[in-house]
Amino acid sequence: MKEGNNPLGNIFISYRAISTVAYQSALQSYGVVGLAAKNLAKGLAQVLVKDPTLGVDVHFDNKTIQIDLYVIVEYGTRIKSVAGSVSDNVRYQVERVFGLPVSQVNVHVRGLRISNTD
Amino acid sequence: MDQPISAMSNGRDLAKNRVIDGQEFKQLIEAGTTWLRTNQQIINALNVFPVPDGDTGTNMLLTMQAAYSEVSRSGEHNIGKMAHFVAQGALMGARGNSGVILSQIWRGFARGLDNIDTMDGHSFAHALVEARNTAYKGVVRPVEGTILTVIKDTAASAEKIDLDSKNIVDIFEVLVDAADQSVKHTPELLPILKQANVVDSGGKGLFTILEGMLRYLKGQSLETALSGVQPLAAVGIEEFEEIEPGQDYEVVIDFQPNSPLNLDKFYSDLSEIGTSIQVGEGEGMYRLHIHVPTDKRYLPIDYTMGLGTITKVAMENLLAQMANIEKEKENKVPLAAVDAGQIAVVAVSPGHGISRIFGSLGCAAIVEGGQTMNPSTEEILRAIENLPTDQVIILPNNKNIILAAQQTVNVTVKNVAVIPCSSVPQGLSAMLRLDPDGKMDRIVKEMNEAIKEVESGELTQATRSIDLNGVHVEQGQVIALLNDKLVYSAPNLEDAMLGLLEKADTESRERITLFSGANITRPEINQIVDAIRRKYPSHEIELHEGDQPYYQFIVSIE
Repeated sequence: MKEGNNPLGNIFISYRAISTVAYQSALQSYGVVGLAAKNLAKGLAQVLVKDPTLGVDVHFDNKTIQIDLYVIVEYGTRIKSVAGSVSDNVRYQVERVFGLPVSQVNVHVRGLRISNTD
Repeated sequence: MDQPISAMSNGRDLAKNRVIDGQEFKQLIEAGTTWLRTNQQIINALNVFPVPDGDTGTNMLLTMQAAYSEVSRSGEHNIGKMAHFVAQGALMGARGNSGVILSQIWRGFARGLDNIDTMDGHSFAHALVEARNTAYKGVVRPVEGTILTVIKDTAASAEKIDLDSKNIVDIFEVLVDAADQSVKHTPELLPILKQANVVDSGGKGLFTILEGMLRYLKGQSLETALSGVQPLAAVGIEEFEEIEPGQDYEVVIDFQPNSPLNLDKFYSDLSEIGTSIQVGEGEGMYRLHIHVPTDKRYLPIDYTMGLGTITKVAMENLLAQMANIEKEKENKVPLAAVDAGQIAVVAVSPGHGISRIFGSLGCAAIVEGGQTMNPSTEEILRAIENLPTDQVIILPNNKNIILAAQQTVNVTVKNVAVIPCSSVPQGLSAMLRLDPDGKMDRIVKEMNEAIKEVESGELTQATRSIDLNGVHVEQGQVIALLNDKLVYSAPNLEDAMLGLLEKADTESRERITLFSGANITRPEINQIVDAIRRKYPSHEIELHEGDQPYYQFIVSIE
């Protein structure tokens, strides 16, 4: 939980809320075809309950947000460019929605999906 | 681009064809790339997201350039293979989000042409459908109102054409029109575009590539930018590096037309007044940007006045702006570039002219400072650390700065030597011994010897009356210092200079170098130089503008 100041009281934002926004914006980024769990056991549980935060880790150091994304990328795209634009996109959306600065978005490419072979 | 497009076979020859081979496809790719380059800035200006994909036009252009350079030298006639090369180049060069999508479009397009020698209308339509399918596969939740929508609509229009009755140029007409409609529709699909009052930049980029191909087929120019309108933000007063004749003034006018603007007439009327015409539009407002010669500078205002209400006029004199830029260039000190491992010199300089002289002699960094503004150890250290080499010689050029310079030796890891030169002439004579590729020890030794061979004199105004070294000085008199010691005083500069030279035993020397200060005028300088020449007719006399404060002259006698 993290807080923001408000004249009438405190605002608490859960890690889960941030993860959800990051998850959605990652899936809207071109070239990202899915997110993958950091480890298998946790992933299995998350898949079973259709967790909207699968493959997203959020950290907060009282000043800035750090996000780790575990993504699956479409085979045949330039991975460097895809990773660059997913991190831009996630950072932009999270900062826009929560108004908290994002200092890091680490993109971990966990696999490729091959829908066409050339 | 390896060949200018005009040197290639004319696009109009292609237009009536019903099939396209690999070489002809290459020409189309080049045309699309060229037209995209021409319109790059217009597309860049369409951005709405402050962060993601900040320069769509440039990203798409770099992607297309990579695609074209992959095929530019290829003699392949099989279009299926050629399309795969294009896709490969686009993939390798894909920049940014729009570039990645564009590369996927080419990848799908190439798949659609697998095992095809020449492309006819049917295979073209099929390739576009494949391009759309592949592009959509790359994302889980496609955002509509983007380049994806534009390829979708374009492919859909290709499927609807009666392909059998059309040649290549007819097909392109239909596709470009569909892409144009699709781009114009993007703000309806993506609210953020509507808010920003722009169309989608990636979609516009794709449209521009197709339009470039069509323009090539029709034999239209690919080098002059669209005479359409740009978003308001894209048009403004710019700084120019150089201007052409007839571009004396830049005029920018904001206005609201009384009736809808006839752009073609507007452009052709304006092109009789001036050049570099750009028009921006936003929320009923128009912004006109034009370059005009001096005698026509009010004409654009009169002209737009007749069309509607002018809200703002900005006029800038480009000639004066250029003169400023030229002047700034003159003021730049030319510093020598050093490579790692070479020996670099950092000089402390009291005046701009002296900095330039040090620079022209091969000095790599200048720290400003002198008699009354001694630079700190930190400032000198920063200059040392910024140099790309680890062998540095410092010329303090003032006895008050030698100590600060020597302290840097203890705080840097670089190999630093301080030459204890206490005046500019000493520093300059040391500077002449520099050999950037030489041995540090030897050069430092030579420099230390060099500074002993030169007598340096300075002329300045006495700030108070004093008796020193047997010299009586009245406040306001001109005093002469020789190697930092007071040697002479006189009521005027000329006498003080001649007295100084006498004390320095100039008779037995060969060369006198003068550095004039910032506080002395040309006629005064000429008068002094003439006086010296009369007294020492066989000596070599050199004059430099040193621009140092306080000292009317710094003199070097060798």
